[in-house]
Amino acid sequence: MLSLMIVPLGLAVFIGLHRVSYSTFKNPVFIGLSNYSEVLKDPSFWDAVLWNLLIILVVVPAHIILAFIAALLLDQVTGRIRGFYLAAMLLPMIVVPVIGTIVFRQLFDPSGLISWFFRVVLDERIIFNETSMKLLILIHSTWISTPFALAIFFAGLQMVPRDLIDSASIDGANRIQQVRHIVIPQLRSLFLLNAILAVMDLLRLFDNVFVLTRMNPIFHSDTMQTHLYRIAVTVKRLGKANAGAVLTVIIIMLVLIPFLIYMYREQMEER
Amino acid sequence: MQPVKNLYGRIFIHLTLWIFVLYNSVPFFWTFLQSLKTKRQANSRTPLFWFEPTFENYSELWLKKVPENFTVIICILIFILIALFIFSLIGEKLSLSSLLIRLTIFGTIAMILFSIPIFVKTAEFYDYFVNTMIVGFGTVIVSIGIASLSGYALSRYLGIAGVILIILALAFRSLPRMAFGLPYFWMGQISGLYDSNFLVIIALAAVNQPFAIYMLRSFFKEIPREIEEAAMVDGASRFEAFIKVIIPIMWPGIITTSLFTLVLVYHEFLLVRILTLKNWTLAVAMQQYLGGISDSGSLPLKSAAAVSAALPLLIIILFYQKNLIKGITAGSVKG
Repeated sequence: MLSLMIVPLGLAVFIGLHRVSYSTFKNPVFIGLSNYSEVLKDPSFWDAVLWNLLIILVVVPAHIILAFIAALLLDQVTGRIRGFYLAAMLLPMIVVPVIGTIVFRQLFDPSGLISWFFRVVLDERIIFNETSMKLLILIHSTWISTPFALAIFFAGLQMVPRDLIDSASIDGANRIQQVRHIVIPQLRSLFLLNAILAVMDLLRLFDNVFVLTRMNPIFHSDTMQTHLYRIAVTVKRLGKANAGAVLTVIIIMLVLIPFLIYMYREQMEER
Repeated sequence: MQPVKNLYGRIFIHLTLWIFVLYNSVPFFWTFLQSLKTKRQANSRTPLFWFEPTFENYSELWLKKVPENFTVIICILIFILIALFIFSLIGEKLSLSSLLIRLTIFGTIAMILFSIPIFVKTAEFYDYFVNTMIVGFGTVIVSIGIASLSGYALSRYLGIAGVILIILALAFRSLPRMAFGLPYFWMGQISGLYDSNFLVIIALAAVNQPFAIYMLRSFFKEIPREIEEAAMVDGASRFEAFIKVIIPIMWPGIITTSLFTLVLVYHEFLLVRILTLKNWTLAVAMQQYLGGISDSGSLPLKSAAAVSAALPLLIIILFYQKNLIKGITAGSVKG
């Protein structure tokens, strides 16, 4: 039965090993490792990697804090209105990311709500340049990754044992102390889970950047994936893009190793 | 935590929650409004909140030309849907097998989907919609078929290899789409399958496999071993026990996992974009509305496309809402 799982994984590994040295797919020419060295020497590749890591550094804490606050507040509400709040907050998770991004971007178009707000209240026009576009990507990534974390936290909050909190409040702990000393330690594994999932998703961030920048190079805001896409589709260097893909896999694995080791320990304990 | 009793505290909580709700849903609401406007209204510099809605954009999006007997067709469609709904209600009372009911409903809906283009001249957007449905359900069937077997195996086999495999599955989840897309693109070009739904289904099934396995495993873990052992004592082979005993118990879990897979497939952009030339799914079809830097001309059309592409999934999710919440709880909290 295990082989049924190994086969698809093995297939992926097999493909992963085979994509190395084809410069054109009709008659592949073996050129060794020069694709790899070319990617590694390319400064724009490293720019993309650094920008991607920066996104992770900003978005992961931001969206976890937002989601945790929202989940705590949502836990205070009961009845039908809770369902309404939850459904409205989960919208960005359910709607297709590409559409979510288009919809988000529309607010900033000249006829959109937010640019209107900027004009009327601040008397400024929104101009897309490198800085504002990068800011927009950060805001949007936070926006789109908050709901899932919120749902997980909310589900987790229902499982925090009641008597712990009750005894703490009898001992005179105020709300902030209760959250700080009981809820957060209880949900520690969920914080980690959210962080892992968000890091994984942000490492292969593509849709949002593709839609927001419309692949316009003036914004200099390529992530790893859009950079590879540019090489593969715009410049039509399939071999180089493949080499880059292998390198990004290695980078991603390097980033993920601490998380994976932690998961491994946890699974072993559970066993 | 016990609820806050103090009045100001409650007002504060509700206000903050409303801010979150607005933060999360205003863009969608705004787009919905935009899709009902004419071009001139949509491009006005001060946003309009009160106007006469028009459905022109939707009909322009879905139909090549509006047929004369449009209302009749709509009425027939609504009638069929109501009939299906009543059938599903009565079917439970008549104690027909639930599989039969589901099969009839899915069969009828599929027939409607394929027969509409015969009566009405539909635009390309409709083809994308049908494509999305084919790819979505195809992928769900393929990946759940494989994942339920391997998830079951992993939940029963607790050796160190099992742990390593599940970690690998999680790691594979994070692999970049480019690393999958380009080899599949290459394979497609070699085998001539490029731009076919089949290749897209295979690729998407491979990509979404790890997640489905991980999730199904956590469902399988909740089933006590004794059940299938009892079946095996009674003379069933392991596989028979799996098919006849485990799967029926697991049905809710399988539905939930299928739902998540469907959502992920529906969301997939890059992979389908690489693997297709014209046979797009809805998510990819959206890109043609991106346009250049300044494309104010087609704003309402773009909004209409966004709304119509998002709606089918929202409706499916609404039907299975409980499974979704359960899935999030089971997949994450219990790990």
